[in-house]
Amino acid sequence: MPKRRQSPEASRRNFLKGASLVGAAAAVVPPVAANAFPAAPQEKLKAAVPGARQIAAETMPPSSDPVNQTTSGGDFMVDVLNSLGVEYMAINCASSYRGLHEAVINHGDNKPEIITCVHEDIAVHVAQGYAKIEGKPMAMACHGVVGLQHATMAMYNAWCDRVPVLVMGGNIMEADKRAPGAEWVHAGVDIGQIVREFTKWDDQPASLQHFAESAVRAYKIATTPPMGPVFLALDAELQENPIRDAEGLRIPKFAPVIPPQGDSGAIAAAAKMLVEAQNPLILCDRVARTPAGMANLVELAETLQCGVIDNAGRMNFPSRHPLNQSFRRGLIGQADVILAIEMNDLWGTVSHFSDRIVRRSRPATKPGAKIITLGVRDLYLKSNYQDFGRWQDVDLDIAGDGESSLAPLTEAVKRLIDDGRKAAYDARGKKLAAAHLAMVEQSKTDATIGWDASPITTARMCAEVYNQIKDEDWSVVGTSIRLSWPHRLWDFKRPYQWNGGSGGAGIGYNLPASLGAALANKKHSRFTVAFGGDGDFMFNPGALWTAAHHKIPMLYIVHNNRAYHQEYMYLVAMAARHGRGVDKMDIGTTIKDPNIDYATVARGMGVYGEGPIVDPKDLGPALSRAIAVVKSGETAVVDVVADPR
Amino acid sequence: MNRFKRIAVAAFAVSALGIAGSVSAQDAPQGDAGNGKRIYLRDGCFTCHGRSGQGGAYNGPAPILAHTALPFDGFSGYVRNPTDDMPAYSEAVLSDKDIADIYAFVESLPGPRSPKDFPILNNN
Repeated sequence: MPKRRQSPEASRRNFLKGASLVGAAAAVVPPVAANAFPAAPQEKLKAAVPGARQIAAETMPPSSDPVNQTTSGGDFMVDVLNSLGVEYMAINCASSYRGLHEAVINHGDNKPEIITCVHEDIAVHVAQGYAKIEGKPMAMACHGVVGLQHATMAMYNAWCDRVPVLVMGGNIMEADKRAPGAEWVHAGVDIGQIVREFTKWDDQPASLQHFAESAVRAYKIATTPPMGPVFLALDAELQENPIRDAEGLRIPKFAPVIPPQGDSGAIAAAAKMLVEAQNPLILCDRVARTPAGMANLVELAETLQCGVIDNAGRMNFPSRHPLNQSFRRGLIGQADVILAIEMNDLWGTVSHFSDRIVRRSRPATKPGAKIITLGVRDLYLKSNYQDFGRWQDVDLDIAGDGESSLAPLTEAVKRLIDDGRKAAYDARGKKLAAAHLAMVEQSKTDATIGWDASPITTARMCAEVYNQIKDEDWSVVGTSIRLSWPHRLWDFKRPYQWNGGSGGAGIGYNLPASLGAALANKKHSRFTVAFGGDGDFMFNPGALWTAAHHKIPMLYIVHNNRAYHQEYMYLVAMAARHGRGVDKMDIGTTIKDPNIDYATVARGMGVYGEGPIVDPKDLGPALSRAIAVVKSGETAVVDVVADPR
Repeated sequence: MNRFKRIAVAAFAVSALGIAGSVSAQDAPQGDAGNGKRIYLRDGCFTCHGRSGQGGAYNGPAPILAHTALPFDGFSGYVRNPTDDMPAYSEAVLSDKDIADIYAFVESLPGPRSPKDFPILNNN
């Protein structure tokens, strides 16, 4: 049954009664306020001549405008958000949504709990990281024009990462209601236009009932695979003014969409192709959207005894599973049937590409290899931003939620496997397991190179961190660019131990998104750890203040290579190509002279800081101290001066 | 971004270089490892291959160079005309002597050791 708003205060009749009482009281109560201040020293002052305004104030009857109200549209908006189970609302405060802000605090008793952020980019990224751990969106609120423009980078990351975020921006729709000045430059006719190219849906509700239905619709759209951010423009008058027709308002019932499984005939065809293949291979990227996803994928791989190459957009497959072949990409060229599930960049995964003067590409697959795709990514695409990647020919394209489709696919595969095949599959699995083990040993061997070097190698940095957190219920929620050592050396096996990258590769994601994930982990008492580059850190260092203010525990390792390192390498390549000046490519690409002291920055934000750690011998003790701080419920930053990759 | 693809290809490339390096490096010209280190750091070799020659990642593989077993001719030829995304270093930016010095430097770098000597690499 639809919920109806119950508050007796919400009726228009009650509001009018209250307003009239306030007006009557104002007429008879003596103006005590003027006597509330200590008496000023008596001084004989020459009386000023009364101005026109003062004369009017003293001679005109009191204004009939109401000056107080007992309900607000914001209250109803809060009720709607709470009906959806929105736990948090990350904000940077702004006058255009002051009505909602006040209502959350007083009507909602700070529910959804406000997460105060010092930049809108931080707020959306916090929501992105949170959603990937908790499995549901949080709200974000900002100024609809200037705040939303700040928020765009993070919204684009969430879009590319297929993560639901409920973004709301204040606006003043009616021109005659805008005050002079800021309210005009902060208003727009269609502010959703700012973010429409990278949101799944947006609306600008014109009434409270319209808001309720749009909020529920937005939540549903955001959380339906392929997921993504949504946006609601909130008219300030709608938020701030009294509810006019409380009895007519209802909060719509939210029923989550059951994601579609692939067509049963197509699933059967895919199963047949996989079962009959000599070397089937599974590619995956953003498959696991619930804790069941990883288990389902493991079951399919074990049933087929085939390799899995995980692009790690989510925690899809255990890192130490014998069938995990993520660091053996040569298998792509050996596979005769490839099942690609919820892939972000299939073409890039099955192709070789050269970044040379003449850019060329060629397939990494062997001739005749069949490709099956399974996923919902292509069901919702837009045209401007090119995050859909290059076209890839496939043989069987199944539209269906990857995670939901795994169980029926596995059952279909099982039905086709006879005893004769089982023996062959077991032999195949044993070969893959041996190769996996060799890969792990090779990684350990490679990690020893430069073990005692300074700057510290990234392998040692990651090994030292794992050594101290391996017995915790850990969750890695951030990484610096191309830092693969955790997945090469660590034992990832739980659904929350990894949550993927930024999506859009927009810098500034890592610190605030890790914080959002840490916020989600906090109530589960997990130990959150994140790595992040120094360049990324400086885009949003203010996220640390939020960490301190809200007491969110997280161990944050700054992979400090003192550069925008990928760009440094690109510039060296450009100079070499042009045959000049390869020794000057630190100009504009490095972050040195002066070196930034990230531990001091952290301390300035109220967060514990260690470093800069230059000598690898100092890293272990610094981590021990930082981990003790995290266990006490706070964030700790460890600045590790490390090699680039 | 396909994070793991690049490192996996790097591992393959390292392996390939190792095979090529089975030929002795004794014919390499005498290089100045100290000057090689200076150039290696100045000209950005370290950006992809690491200061310890431990390898890394650019667009794709940046193989391990520490204690390389690659013969000098193969090394030099690759620097001048690489087959992957590694930039080609012409004479204009890197002389033959520079390459010899760099080769001497990376050859002098300690290679991998047994992980058994590192307890924290064996704790899971």
